[in-house]
Amino acid sequence: MLTYVARRLAELLFVLAVVLILAFAAGRLMPGDPIGAMLSDRAGDAALEQRLRAQYGLDAPVLEQFLLYIRGVARGEFGFSYRFVGVPVVEVLGDSLRISPLLALSALLIAAPLGVAAGALAALRHNRWTDTSVMAVMIAGISVPNFASAAFLVYLLAIRLSALPVAGWGTLRQAVLPVIVLALQPTAYIARLARTFMLEVLAQDYIRTARAKGMRERIVILRHALPNILVPLLTTIGIIFGTLLTGTFVVETVFNIPGLGRQAIQAIFARDYPVTIAVVLLFSFFYAGINLIVDLLYGVIDPRIRLEARR
Amino acid sequence: MGQLSAKLVVAALALMWTGASAEAKSLRLNITADPSQMDPITESELIAGDIIRNMYEDLAGIDKDGKVIPVLATEWQASDGGKTWRFKLRRGVKFHTGRELKAADVKRSFEALLTPALKPGASQVYLKDVVGAKEMLDGKATELAGVTVVDDATVDITFTKPDVLFPIYPVRIFDTDVLTHGADWFLKESGGTGPFQFVGWKRGSEVRLKSFPGYWDGAPKIDEVVFVVVPNIETSLSLYETKELDLVEVPPSATRAVLHDTRYDGQMLQVPAAQINYLGMNQTKYEPFKDKRVREAISLAIDREGYVKGLKGGAGLPLYGSITPGIAGYAPVPKIPYDPERARQLLAEAGYPGGKGLPPIDIQATPVEKDDLAYFADQFKKVLGIDVSVKVVERATHIKQMNAGEVAFFPWGWTADYPDALYFLSQLWDSRSPYNRVRWKNVDYDKLIDRAQGEPNAEARYKIYAEAEKIILDDFGMAPLYVRMQLWLKRPNVKNVYLTPFRNLPFAKVEVE
Repeated sequence: MLTYVARRLAELLFVLAVVLILAFAAGRLMPGDPIGAMLSDRAGDAALEQRLRAQYGLDAPVLEQFLLYIRGVARGEFGFSYRFVGVPVVEVLGDSLRISPLLALSALLIAAPLGVAAGALAALRHNRWTDTSVMAVMIAGISVPNFASAAFLVYLLAIRLSALPVAGWGTLRQAVLPVIVLALQPTAYIARLARTFMLEVLAQDYIRTARAKGMRERIVILRHALPNILVPLLTTIGIIFGTLLTGTFVVETVFNIPGLGRQAIQAIFARDYPVTIAVVLLFSFFYAGINLIVDLLYGVIDPRIRLEARR
Repeated sequence: MGQLSAKLVVAALALMWTGASAEAKSLRLNITADPSQMDPITESELIAGDIIRNMYEDLAGIDKDGKVIPVLATEWQASDGGKTWRFKLRRGVKFHTGRELKAADVKRSFEALLTPALKPGASQVYLKDVVGAKEMLDGKATELAGVTVVDDATVDITFTKPDVLFPIYPVRIFDTDVLTHGADWFLKESGGTGPFQFVGWKRGSEVRLKSFPGYWDGAPKIDEVVFVVVPNIETSLSLYETKELDLVEVPPSATRAVLHDTRYDGQMLQVPAAQINYLGMNQTKYEPFKDKRVREAISLAIDREGYVKGLKGGAGLPLYGSITPGIAGYAPVPKIPYDPERARQLLAEAGYPGGKGLPPIDIQATPVEKDDLAYFADQFKKVLGIDVSVKVVERATHIKQMNAGEVAFFPWGWTADYPDALYFLSQLWDSRSPYNRVRWKNVDYDKLIDRAQGEPNAEARYKIYAEAEKIILDDFGMAPLYVRMQLWLKRPNVKNVYLTPFRNLPFAKVEVE
């Protein structure tokens, strides 16, 4: 088990190294540069441009800049933002480092149990009106895009009824709408999968056996059926969490939340290389980290899956 | 004891729910992104300028009608044909740090702006002709030789060549002692003389300023100004609707919707921006543009009124010259008529009847202007029979190409940094300016600009402007298009917000009822 984790962590480091190189290269290959973005329409002043470029060390050869950057990262320093003069990258990211994961996690904590329950319920009432109506709602949930449901809910709950704030971040009340909007699609998605998996499981011999033994239906469902749909669902939930983390951008925009997605966009537009690379690294770290956790959880949920270091 | 702490918790919760600053009189307005800077040295962009203007002041400023008024200087006088300026400073002006403004502070502020290690931004260029500026920028001097402190309230500034507009350049004067408080001093305090002082910047959320009780023109009547970071205009409008914003800047993309929404009647502020928009025709890049008749035909083929009304949703004014209204030195110029008939005739005279024989041409700009590009391509096809292809390019690349004189045909704008027409005339069409993106060249014009730059008498100078403007207009060196209308929404209970061609004045006199 320990060797397995160590091996996976080494892989993670390798992935991050590759991502770092790609992110660095992608930044430099994009048209435009930080000084151009900074000067915007004044970029015609060649002397000023030259001076600024030297100040930011952007006049050195790209390879030299890269080595300098790597050396910093190795020491745990991500350098200074280009856009916010004199402010370290870590400080630029600041609160958004907490906000986006918090949003994603809250949404998942609502979506996962709700989705599983709705899906299981639909499967148990297969082809009856409960099934049809639950699935109709879920399909609507998948089909309506974030920005539309957000606009609708803001209009209804915030502007018309004044029950919740329109936007912002910092209080619990401000978090309600964004979390709901963010949870809608994953809930629907998880419910559909849970229903399919549940229908499959319910058709298995051991369920028939359990019922034949005269077990109460509740026990059959909770103890025999439900645990068996969790393994395939876990993989999906892992992926969904990754998507939630990186996909909070729309919600962050509509509800004006200073999260990572917004930071990323602003940094990219300003060609703020250090911040851009840091955000890309973070996103990769989240994604890879979640996958690792999901793989480890398999062993917990399903004792048959053993995690051994492969040769 | 338990009861007390329970009460405290309830009180704290209530505070959280209602917002702690319910008592404070504040002005809340939107900014579309975090400012890139918060200190007067590195200041380079619009949003930073909007905030910094409320904390830091210049020697001169403008009033609500756009007229130049004394601010930190009470009077100024040129001598030596505009090569030396003497400023008398206002007495009793206090910095946020508590110290009083003295003539030596002017010198030190200038020196800070010329110290490369401090990463000076855009306003540095206004000091480049001060004697000794070059030596400082090259790191050969640490003191600015061209600034002499005569006494506590008098300072002389000498230039390597006449600079008659120097007093109105946007250069902040501040207490340079703050620089000794660490590299990130601007995240903790402000060292200006303005009506508001720095409180805090929650990146991604807001920038908060509080009123400066020691302000020389009287303490502001509101307690604080909060610049709320809201990138999305729909969100801004919702926040305005629920009274969480008092003032909202409406971007061009939303002006049409707001202008036609009756809910906002009586709550709109509209003032033309100090920005000209023109259609550039680069004669070095497209042979037919060398023929004045072709350039004139293009200009006559533009229906400026229809363009503003249709494409700009009415949020603008047709432009026929090179100077925007409300700027010192502006004088009305004759209208350029929309005359398809005459345009076709001119094109035929130039040897291209119905556009035949013209080599293919691209009209180029950034994604923001793609509708404009499509409009022009269609208009020139319809009226003149010219095949124009639309080319959309990433912004920084487009600007770079224009600066290098590589773009033949483009609509673009130019915003003035200080309230004088010479800004437009000298930067855009002088053949020696790096921003002469149309590469139009006229020796007489350049000579007039030189003369204007050395003419301290304003009225005499404005006459020179008119003469110069006539040269480029008569030659159809470019086609003027329109002046953008700035649009802001202001809640009825907010008084004394003054929108000028240079955005809002500092909020020193604002009242919130």
